[in-house]
Amino acid sequence: MTPHELHLARISNDLFNVALFAYIASMVGYFAYLAFRREVLRIGAKAVLMFGLAAHFLSIVQRGLAAGRVPWGNMYEYSSLLAFLAVLGYVVIVEGRYKSRTLGGFVLMFAVLTMAIAVSFFYVGPGPLVPALNSYWIKIHVVAAILGSSLFALGGGVLTIAYLVKDARERREAAGPAARPPIMGASIDLADPPYYAPGADDPVGATGSTDGRGILPPSATLDRMAYRTIAFAFPIWTFAVIAGAIWAQEAWGRYWGWDPKETWSFITWTIYAGYLHARATSGWKGRRAAVIALVGFVSLLVTYYAVNLWIVGLHSYKGF
Amino acid sequence: MRTALVLLLLLALASVVGSLVPQGPNSPERVARFQVDHPLLGDFYRHAGFFDVFGSWWFVLITTLLVISLVLCLVPRTRAAIRGLRQRPVQAREIDGFPQYSERTVATRPELAIASSQKVLRRRMFRVSRAEGVLAAEKGTLREVGSLLFHWSFLLLLVGVIYGKGTGFTGKALVVEGETWTDGAANYDGTVREGRFFSGDFTGVGVRLLDFEDTYRRTGQPMDFVSHVDLLEPDGSLAGRADIRVNHPAEIDGLSIYQYGFGWAPVVEVREGDRLLYSAPAPFGQLSPPAGVPQLALPWNGVVKLPSVGEGLGIQLVLWPDSSAYLQSLETGRPVLMTQANHPIMFFTTWRGPLLDPSPRSLDISVMRRWTTGTIGQGTTCDLATGKCWEDGTRPVGPGELTMSFPALRQYSVLQVSRDRGVPIVLAAAILLLLGLLPALYTSRRKVWVRAEANGEGTVLKVGGFALQRKSQFEEEFSKLVDELERASGEKVGTR
Ligand code: HEM
Repeated sequence: MTPHELHLARISNDLFNVALFAYIASMVGYFAYLAFRREVLRIGAKAVLMFGLAAHFLSIVQRGLAAGRVPWGNMYEYSSLLAFLAVLGYVVIVEGRYKSRTLGGFVLMFAVLTMAIAVSFFYVGPGPLVPALNSYWIKIHVVAAILGSSLFALGGGVLTIAYLVKDARERREAAGPAARPPIMGASIDLADPPYYAPGADDPVGATGSTDGRGILPPSATLDRMAYRTIAFAFPIWTFAVIAGAIWAQEAWGRYWGWDPKETWSFITWTIYAGYLHARATSGWKGRRAAVIALVGFVSLLVTYYAVNLWIVGLHSYKGF
Repeated sequence: MRTALVLLLLLALASVVGSLVPQGPNSPERVARFQVDHPLLGDFYRHAGFFDVFGSWWFVLITTLLVISLVLCLVPRTRAAIRGLRQRPVQAREIDGFPQYSERTVATRPELAIASSQKVLRRRMFRVSRAEGVLAAEKGTLREVGSLLFHWSFLLLLVGVIYGKGTGFTGKALVVEGETWTDGAANYDGTVREGRFFSGDFTGVGVRLLDFEDTYRRTGQPMDFVSHVDLLEPDGSLAGRADIRVNHPAEIDGLSIYQYGFGWAPVVEVREGDRLLYSAPAPFGQLSPPAGVPQLALPWNGVVKLPSVGEGLGIQLVLWPDSSAYLQSLETGRPVLMTQANHPIMFFTTWRGPLLDPSPRSLDISVMRRWTTGTIGQGTTCDLATGKCWEDGTRPVGPGELTMSFPALRQYSVLQVSRDRGVPIVLAAAILLLLGLLPALYTSRRKVWVRAEANGEGTVLKVGGFALQRKSQFEEEFSKLVDELERASGEKVGTR
C-alpha cells in the first residue's frame, strides 16, 4: 500500500470515529428530547446527526479511494455501510416522508452498536478483494443486500419495536387504571388500534401530543411506517438474493447450494414473505404482524453475523 | 394460500436444521466427525435425513406439496382475475355510502357532465363503463396482475430448479498440465453428484490443460487462479481455447467448467535398470494446516504405487515446492509461504508389502515393511535400495538397480464440471418474479362511481369511491379527482 493510500485509510478511520461519536451524542440528544421534551434538544440532536452522517459518508468514500475499489469488501466495510444506510433511511423515510421526528434515538442505537461491533471485531485495513469477491456482481449483490438489510433493520427492527412499546402503552391507557387486561391478547378487539382512523398518516410527533400520551407517534402510524419500510425492503432483498445466485452460478457453478448464507437469506426472505402475506390476506395488522417482523429481524441478524462468524460455509469470511 | 404459506415456512424451518447440522453434500468430513463424536444423535440424524436435509425425502415432499398447493390456489385466482379483467366495472346502486363521497353542482346538462367525466377518468387511466347518467370506474388491476405474475414465477422457479437439478450432475475433473481430461463417468475425481432423473448421458468433450497460473501478493493473499485450456469436441477436434478463472467459467456442449482448485503434480519415474516401470505426474494433496499456519506454508503429500515390484512397492512422498522456504522455516522455526516452485525437493519413504488400499492417492502401510528413506531434488535420481541420490546422467545405472527420478514439477488444476439445464428457466423466473413484485406491492386498487342528476338549470355531480389499499393516499387523489371532474363539467355554480 502506498503512503498516499495509507493516508487515505487513516482519514477514513478518523471520519468513522467522528461519525460514531456524533451518532452517540445525537442518540443521547434524541433520548433527552423524549425525556424532557425541549424542542431545542431535538433540533440539536438532528444537527449533530446530519453532521455525523456527512462524516460517515466521507469516511466510506475515503475507504474506497484507499482500497482502490468499492468500499464494501469485508465485514468491517459492510457494517459501516449498513449503519450509514440505516441512518440515512431513517432521515429520508421516517423524518422526511412521514414527518415523524422522535425516533432518532432508536435508530442511532442500532447504528452505534453496528459500528462499535465493526471496529472492535472486524477491523481490517483496506486491501484488494480475494478473487471470489472480485466480480461486478459483488458490487450489485452486496450493495443490494446491505441496503435491504438496513431497511429491514429499520422497519422490522427499530420501527416494529417502537410500535410494540407504544402499542403496549396505548393498551394500558385504553384499559384505564382500574381495568387492566388480565391476559395479554384478551382485549385485542377492544383496543385494536384504529388503522383507518383519519390522520394516521398525518404529521405526528413534531407537534407532540400534550395529553399525556407520550411523544412517540401513535401506534397506528408506527405500524404503517414499519409495514411500508418492510414492503420497500422486500423487493430489494429479493433482488439481492437473485443477484447473489447469479454470482454463485458464475463463481461456483451452481446458483444455489444451500450454503449457510444462502440458506439464511432464504429463511429471512420467507419470513418477510410471510409477513407481507399476513398483512395482505388475513389482515393481520398490529401485534401479530409485528411479531413476525421481529422474527424476521432476528433471522436477519443471524444471516448477517452468525453465518459470517460461526457457521462454516463458502460465505464465512471475515477478512484474512 | 395459507397452506402454501405454511409449507413455505416449513421449508424455512427445514433450512434452519440444514444450516445447523453438518450437511453431507457440502462437508462429508464434518458429518463423519459428528457421527464419531455423537454416535446416538448421529444415528438419529442419519435416519431422519438431517445430514442431507435438502436431498431428503421429506424436503422433496414439502416442495412437491408446495408446488401442488400453489397450483391449486393460483388457478382459481387467475381465472377470477381474467374474469375481472374482461368485466366492465359494475355500476353501484347507492354511491353516497362509500368511504369517499362528494357532491358538486355544475352548470351543464347531465349527459354532458357524464361525458366529460368519462373523459377525465379515461385520461387518468381508469377503466370506465357508462350507463344512463352514471359511470363506474376502476384502476389498479396491475396489482393483481403483478401479484399473479410473482406467484406463477415463483412456481416456475421451483419447477426450473427441480428440472435442472434433477436432470443435471456436477463433479470434479483433475487435469495435470499437458494432459487431457474427457467427460465420462469413470474420469471424475471422487463422486459425481447426479440428479434424481440423470440418465448418465456424459458428453465426451475434452479439456486439455495447457498451463495453470496462480498469482499471489507478498502477503500470500491470492490474486488470481487461471487454467489456460483447449476445449475439445468428442471427436478430438479443437472446439476453442479458454481461460478458466474464478468467476469466469467456460461453456461447452451444455457443460459449465469452473476453476475449483489446484495443486502440484511432480513427474515421477521409476526404473529397474534401464527398464521404465512407471512414469507419470502424481497429483499431490495437502493436509489441513494447524492453527496459525497458512495453507501455503505446508508441504504436499502424495504416493506412487508399484504393485509389480516384488510383492508390492509403495513410495510415500512429501514435496516442498520451494526448498529455500523449507530451509528458511527450519532456521527460523516459522512457517514460510511457498507461492512458486524453486528447486523443489521431495522426502521419500519406501515401503514393501501388499498394496491393500485401492485408492491411487493413499497408502495403507499397516501390513507393509518400511524399506528406505531419502531426499530427491528435481533433476536427480535415487537408488531406492540405499536412498542415495545423484544428479541425472552423472552416474550410470546398474542392471537390475531400482531407481526413482524426478525430472519435472507440474501443476494440476481441479475443475468443477456441471450441467444444469434449468438455469435459463430459473433466471427467467427470477426476473419475472421481481417484475411482478413491484406492482404487487406498490400499486393499489381503487374504484370510483359518478352519478349526474338534473337539478334545475344545472346538474348535481355525485362522486363516490374507495381504495382497497393505500387509503390515506386515495383521500388526496379523490379530492383532486372531484375538483377535476367539476372543472371539466363547466363552471362552478355552488358546492354542497
Ligand atoms: C440475501 C441475503 C444475503 C446477504 C445479506 C448477503 C450478503 C453477502 C455479503 C455481505 C457478501 C460478502 C461476503 C460475505 O459476507 O460472505 C456476500 C457474498 C456473496 N454472496 Fe451473499 N448474501 C445474501 C444472499 C446470497 C445468496 C442467496 C447467494 C447465492 C446463492 C449469495 C451469493 C454470494 C456469493 C457468491 C458471494 C461471494 C462469496 C464469498 O466468497 O464470500 N448471497 N453476500
